[in-house]
Amino acid sequence: MLNDRHLAQDLAQEVFLQMHRKLADVQSDQHLAFWLRKVTMHRAIDQLRREPRVEKVSMDEALSLAGEVLEPDPMIERRLRELVAQLAPAARAVVLLRYQEDLDPVEIAHTLKMSLNTVKSHLKRSLAILREQVGECVAVQMPT
Amino acid sequence: MKDDFEDQLRSALRPVDPGNAFCAQVMTRLTASTPSPSPLPGRPAYRWLSAGLVASVAVGICVTWQYQLKRAEGLEARRQLIEALRLTDQKLGSAYRIANSGT
Repeated sequence: MLNDRHLAQDLAQEVFLQMHRKLADVQSDQHLAFWLRKVTMHRAIDQLRREPRVEKVSMDEALSLAGEVLEPDPMIERRLRELVAQLAPAARAVVLLRYQEDLDPVEIAHTLKMSLNTVKSHLKRSLAILREQVGECVAVQMPT
Repeated sequence: MKDDFEDQLRSALRPVDPGNAFCAQVMTRLTASTPSPSPLPGRPAYRWLSAGLVASVAVGICVTWQYQLKRAEGLEARRQLIEALRLTDQKLGSAYRIANSGT
């Protein structure tokens, strides 16, 4: 969500500390999972809104980046992660909750306190953007 | 096609294990931020209550011991009185016999 491993770890640690202070309020495993997702996403979105937007990078620049990626990935998956990182915070949160946490749109709406229609709209538009840009990536790589 | 793309997206976004170092960092921060446990509620009152109980028991033991002591002294005094009376009775009897033998 934050596109920065160190920031993500810091935020995750803060969330776990907060969870530890509120352990007495946890009612069940599902409640705990819901609370963790909700708080993490909200804090990540707040963090992103405080920071300047990340500029889009070209594919060549993205491929030359080193460091954060720990294992070799197919090029398209890497590109997808970069593209997701460039989505607006709210849309990014929706995509991650759908395709990383495997929540359905109703659960996403509840976690992020959005209407169901807003969630579906974010999903539809984000998928269209991602598909289009990955399609361009594939077209560039295909030999002519 | 749509399913393939979404599957690719799921694969691209799969969670990355942060590793044991992350867990260790969280635990370190947890122990550093957790305040030292406060004394048990009511502990000072508990201390006073227990001290009072001990004092009460001690006083009780002393009082009982003194009573037992005095009772023993009384019993001894009674015993001595009875012995004295017996001896007196013996002597009076002897005196009576001596007095009566002379007639």
